[in-house]
Amino acid sequence: MKKFIRKIEPYLWILPSVLLMLIFILVPIVFVFRMALSKVSRAGLIKGFTGLANFTKILSTPTFSMVLKNTLVWTVAVVGLSTLLGFILALILNNAFKGRKIARAIVVFPWATTLVVQASIWKFILDTDYGTLNTLLMKLGIIDHAVNWTPSAGAWFAWEIACGIFVTIPFVTFTVLSGLQSIDGSYYEAATVDGANYWQKLFKITVPLVSSSLTVSTVLNIIYVFNSFPIIWNMTKGDPGNRTDTLVTYLYKLAFYNGKQGEAAAVSVIGFLILLVCATAYMVATLKKGDE
Amino acid sequence: MNETAKKPLNGKKLTLRILLYLVVFIVCVLILYPYFAMLCTSLKGRSEIFAAKGTILPKEALWSNFADIWQRAPMAKYMLNSVLIAGGSTIIALICGIPAAYALSRMKFKGDIVFLGFVIVSQMFAPVVLLIGIYKVMMTLNLTNSILGLIFINAAFNQAFTIWLLRGTFMGISSEMEQAAKIDGCNRFEAMVKILLPVAAPGIVTTLIFVFINAWNEYTVALTLISDDLNKPLTVGINIFNGYNMIEWQYLFAASLFAIAPVVILFAIIEKNLVSGLASGGVKG
Repeated sequence: MKKFIRKIEPYLWILPSVLLMLIFILVPIVFVFRMALSKVSRAGLIKGFTGLANFTKILSTPTFSMVLKNTLVWTVAVVGLSTLLGFILALILNNAFKGRKIARAIVVFPWATTLVVQASIWKFILDTDYGTLNTLLMKLGIIDHAVNWTPSAGAWFAWEIACGIFVTIPFVTFTVLSGLQSIDGSYYEAATVDGANYWQKLFKITVPLVSSSLTVSTVLNIIYVFNSFPIIWNMTKGDPGNRTDTLVTYLYKLAFYNGKQGEAAAVSVIGFLILLVCATAYMVATLKKGDE
Repeated sequence: MNETAKKPLNGKKLTLRILLYLVVFIVCVLILYPYFAMLCTSLKGRSEIFAAKGTILPKEALWSNFADIWQRAPMAKYMLNSVLIAGGSTIIALICGIPAAYALSRMKFKGDIVFLGFVIVSQMFAPVVLLIGIYKVMMTLNLTNSILGLIFINAAFNQAFTIWLLRGTFMGISSEMEQAAKIDGCNRFEAMVKILLPVAAPGIVTTLIFVFINAWNEYTVALTLISDDLNKPLTVGINIFNGYNMIEWQYLFAASLFAIAPVVILFAIIEKNLVSGLASGGVKG
């Protein structure tokens, strides 16, 4: 009996956590898959198995390929540029200078701000008629009449990407900073003795040693940005004509505006599978690192 | 690095120093600009915002906007809901996460790698991809339109982060003291509560604040599940001023400042721990 209790004890410790994730993450996943393979009424009732009908319906629309392309552009542009800029900012903030503490506190701001507020303020700043960007530039004498900063869907999308980059940079910066701080200063001293210049030190010492931090932040960002909903939703709702939609805003509209829950579930599954590939790669990399 | 700052600077080093300050200054201005615009706008009157000749600073600071929002919208209720959701999610995430992290760091059992693997993978799925499924689960449990429902969802989707960070913290602490306590007659649970948790307090506080912030800032699930205005948290509620035909920018931004202030302050507090937390939890494993 005692042996039995000892054997099941670890499972009792993880039980609350398992239950929580089972009910609120695993069951929804099962539901989404079931709905993707079923005919679903407008009210969300499952009306029998339809195989891959929802998928073929979605994949045959030209909208979906546009949305998929948008998602790719959005994810790659936001993650790529914020990783580059965030890395440079981390190098800058890693220097000792007066006011570094304040500068670092300020850099945290966009990370701490809820995305929906950030999106609203950007929408306001960019407005042609009363936006503060036009007001500011006119006051500074840089432009003499109000500029329409968002003349097209493409322009809106570019600003949404800019907003995405703005809010993603701090996470990269702080992850890289944590990596930079763990580098032993003697490496640099030795390199200086050997006559290495700044760029040699950067690419031969710094970059390799923070590459694991960069990997973590990049993979996590791919997932966060891919799933990011509030910025696009608040600035354009994916319009005009789905031209600024990404996968998540598109599936939201399908499910909760158009009553096409079966097709929305199919989009979910497609997004889910794309992410699963990323997640698996991440898990393998992380667990491997843990063993080292 | 500090030593170079104390030495008299030669020409090249001085230029670099000035360049450094200049870049840092520009970055800070760029980051702060949206907040500056938000604060200025929240103090303007409606006519001043939409005037043909725009202003940067308000002509006259209308602090009354900050008072008006409490009358024009159930702000107090939104705020209370946000506190309940963020607080409740944090408590549940920790109650479930601490024992799980403890088991993963102190015991060997069949399936521990599978469990850890699921924890890491679950981190990869934002609720938005699963919204339809979540909505169905909540319908079944009769938890749509309820704060309790949001608490469970937030707690569940923050489990990965909680367990991962706490496991890292616990593994960094030697188990010798706990074993000594067990010899003295403590059971495992007592040993954890009395010995391990006090030592792990800094890591727990970081985790706690981080989950609180995530839940406080959550928007998408609340937008979908909550239809009753009085059950909305701040992130969703403040959009009452963001109507289809007319946006009351001054009120929207006054309310937004209330929504972001607590979190920005909390973030500034844990900024330092966050870096070490990311290092121990995320990078080193």
